Amino acid sequence: MHSDRASWGLRIGAVLGLMFLHLPILLIFLYAFTTEERSYQFPPPGLTTKWFGVAWGRADIWPPLILSLQVAAIATALAMVLGTLVAAAMARVRFFGREQISLLIILPIALPGVITGMSLRSAFAIADIPFSTWTIVLGHATFCIVIVYNNAVARFRRLSGGVLEASADLGANAFQTFRHVLLPNLGSALLAGGMLAFALSFDEVIVTTFTAGQQSTLPIWMLNELVRPRQRPVTNVVAMVVFAATFLPILAAYYLTRGGSETAGGGK
Amino acid sequence: MTQAVFPARGAADRLTGLFWRRPNLLLWLMITPPLVWLGLVYLGSLAALLVQSFYSIDEFSGLVVPEFTLKTYAELLRPANFDIILRTLVMSATVTLGCAVIAFPIAYYAARHAKGRWKAVFYLGVMLPLWSSYLVKVYAWKLILAKEGIVTWASDGIGAGFVLNAVLAIPGIGGNSLSTSPLGTWMVFVYVWLPYMILPMQASLERVPTSMLEASADLGAAPSRTFRSVILPLAMPGVIAGSIFTFSLTMGDYIIPQIIGTSARFIGQAVYQLQGTAGNLPLAAAFAVVPIAIMMVYLWLAKRAGAFDAL
Amino acid sequence: MTPAVEFSNVTRHFGPVKAVDGVSLTIAEGSFFAMLGPSGSGKTTCLRLISGFEKPTAGQVRIFGQDVSDTPPHLRNVNTVFQDYALFPHMNVRDNVAYGLMVKGMAKAPRHTRAEEMLALVKLDGYGDRKPGQLSGGQRQRVALARALVNEPRVLLLDEPLGALDLKLREAMQEELKALQQRLGITFVFVTHDQGEALSMADSLAVFNEGRIVQIGKPSEIYERPATRFVADFVGSSNVLSPEVAQRFGAAPRWSSLRPEAIRLAASGVPGIAGPARYLGAGTRLSVDVGTDRLTVHLPPGTPVPAPGIPVSLDVSAAALHPMEGEA
Repeated sequence: MHSDRASWGLRIGAVLGLMFLHLPILLIFLYAFTTEERSYQFPPPGLTTKWFGVAWGRADIWPPLILSLQVAAIATALAMVLGTLVAAAMARVRFFGREQISLLIILPIALPGVITGMSLRSAFAIADIPFSTWTIVLGHATFCIVIVYNNAVARFRRLSGGVLEASADLGANAFQTFRHVLLPNLGSALLAGGMLAFALSFDEVIVTTFTAGQQSTLPIWMLNELVRPRQRPVTNVVAMVVFAATFLPILAAYYLTRGGSETAGGGK
Repeated sequence: MTQAVFPARGAADRLTGLFWRRPNLLLWLMITPPLVWLGLVYLGSLAALLVQSFYSIDEFSGLVVPEFTLKTYAELLRPANFDIILRTLVMSATVTLGCAVIAFPIAYYAARHAKGRWKAVFYLGVMLPLWSSYLVKVYAWKLILAKEGIVTWASDGIGAGFVLNAVLAIPGIGGNSLSTSPLGTWMVFVYVWLPYMILPMQASLERVPTSMLEASADLGAAPSRTFRSVILPLAMPGVIAGSIFTFSLTMGDYIIPQIIGTSARFIGQAVYQLQGTAGNLPLAAAFAVVPIAIMMVYLWLAKRAGAFDAL
Repeated sequence: MTPAVEFSNVTRHFGPVKAVDGVSLTIAEGSFFAMLGPSGSGKTTCLRLISGFEKPTAGQVRIFGQDVSDTPPHLRNVNTVFQDYALFPHMNVRDNVAYGLMVKGMAKAPRHTRAEEMLALVKLDGYGDRKPGQLSGGQRQRVALARALVNEPRVLLLDEPLGALDLKLREAMQEELKALQQRLGITFVFVTHDQGEALSMADSLAVFNEGRIVQIGKPSEIYERPATRFVADFVGSSNVLSPEVAQRFGAAPRWSSLRPEAIRLAASGVPGIAGPARYLGAGTRLSVDVGTDRLTVHLPPGTPVPAPGIPVSLDVSAAALHPMEGEA
């Protein structure tokens, strides 16, 4: 009888593969504690926590961090409004141009970041727009819309349309239906989409380098450090911060949307 | 007797009535802002890219000449530039192959053998690295592949240091250390894009009905034959879907080659440098159009091979 | 008295498709009105024209004399029990039932009391705190009913509400609904494709086909004197006789319907050949070939059943044949 138990080789291969995916990140955490600051020596000659204090004190880290937070907040807010609007529109069955709009929405994520970045750069050049925080936000909001849209539209689909009709049938006007029926059912999906968008924006570097001009977001700062390192463990400390700022919202989003057929993050 | 029809209670009721009488009004109100944004900002930029690629640079003044010409595209055919394109294509192809091979056991196990809790473990295990900070992942590999880093330490530890040095001595893929070699670049690419290959593969492997495998065994096929004739063809759409991601992402990436690799440039780096310090926007744009064109052809071929059912 | 609902030559187009094609009907206040027909016949669209989720392309819909062409659904004193119940998944049963009162501004205490009263009416007292996901199909249906009735609508619309229930439950609910309607005196408009349901519950019913009403009247009229072949076939178990065979039974040479119960096997009469028989417990249905037609004859229990191939004679009074208007 055909057995469903995997061979040991397969099982080991699979588990090793999983570990391979996670080990590198753990090493970053390790290197944040090393005493050696000029190279990536392994094993670390000693362990210390002083780099956290050093990082806190360095003046060149705070402005990029604040800029990253600002951009992420604004881009997420914009994306949540625009993404939800278009998801609501797309949830209404059959209208002219629906498939084309679907493709348009996916495009910012489907095409490689360098294309989006270069396109925006070309547009700024032709329209003579100077670089600013807003040019960064422009790029981020555009692909954040996709993230919010994916989460919202999946939840809209799960919502039986009859429920909105039932609400109207019982005497509720559009605003009451929105408040009492639509929002409670959509809420967690929107929150999840917002958190994913925030994480994506915070971590984004590929498009940002084209749209930031002279400014640095935290990932840009990290990129510069990688090319011309100063105090390497400090870079690791910052890497931990960036990792936490992206990992935690994503985990939260996963738990928010678990239990449905759509799960946050499925299909980036 | 109570009435059959209620009067409108205020502006909210009247507005609702308006949306009921004209359902398209609500639709337009909802879709216009996002459409304007996406159309203007995104499509507009893509158009700007295309336009920019048909401009050219005046050799003497260094300024952009806003007149239609194919001169800039012709520049792409110059050996130095064409090398860049070729190098990127080769890397994209080998990365795709590497991802496909490594992802398969993971995807296969997750699709067909992981049950209950383990399925969630595998799901999270693939999703979390996918969503982890891209830059942090690349940085992690810089640490690992550094000459004084963990790989050297490990290989010295098991006495395989000479193997490492031998590999590094191979021309074309070797270098001073792993972190300054094309081999290293390849490894990092494979690592970072692996989840993009695992997920569609797993999805299409999950769709292979167990009854087919049983039927194959029933008809006398050895496991390897079943694998070649039943599993592999059915998993192909997933493989192709995953390859779209790995190919496209590798073609456009400029960060990984910059941090881990030699000074030989890839398309992404060319674009980045040309629009920045080198100040040749039209050529940068032309370079950027190359991946778009290649991906469109790739997508068309993939669609014909039926890959989009796996997405 | 003003009729509860009145359709005046109502049409609803979806592009080239006429979902409802020139329908006129009158529903009396306090009656149990059924709309019967196959899927796609327009009955559900007519229901939605009353509730307001469809707007007529032509014609007028009046509710208690008032033209509702300009009235959105939320302002009509009409409530619907939807086919899939459409309960709000994030609210408990009590809040579901009280929803209509809540959006009209009733305070929490009185509307909870009213909701509990309604739940008692549909025999679901004590279920207030449960969520819809925890209920069975039949229980959800009752909640949907309570939720609609709590608003004291002047017309209650039911869109195939019993379709998802199993047979025993469905029959029990049919009795309950009928009793409820008679007690409350509200006009019920009930859509179904099940002819047995329509015949047993309705005070009057309309048979729909392809967007038009084919026949409208009391259940006994529809069953005993179907106007067309379609009605005879759809409402079921009536024999349809071709003009030639009708003539053999002494009636006019027209397409006619004849109930199986009105035919008897006799010593002499119209000749036919016996065919297969089906034992039903309460009698036997015997197929008899007469000319080009195959008739069904109902034999009461105890009557000897002739074997297939045996010639038999059928006795029918000519008055039992009901000539029909047309083939459709």
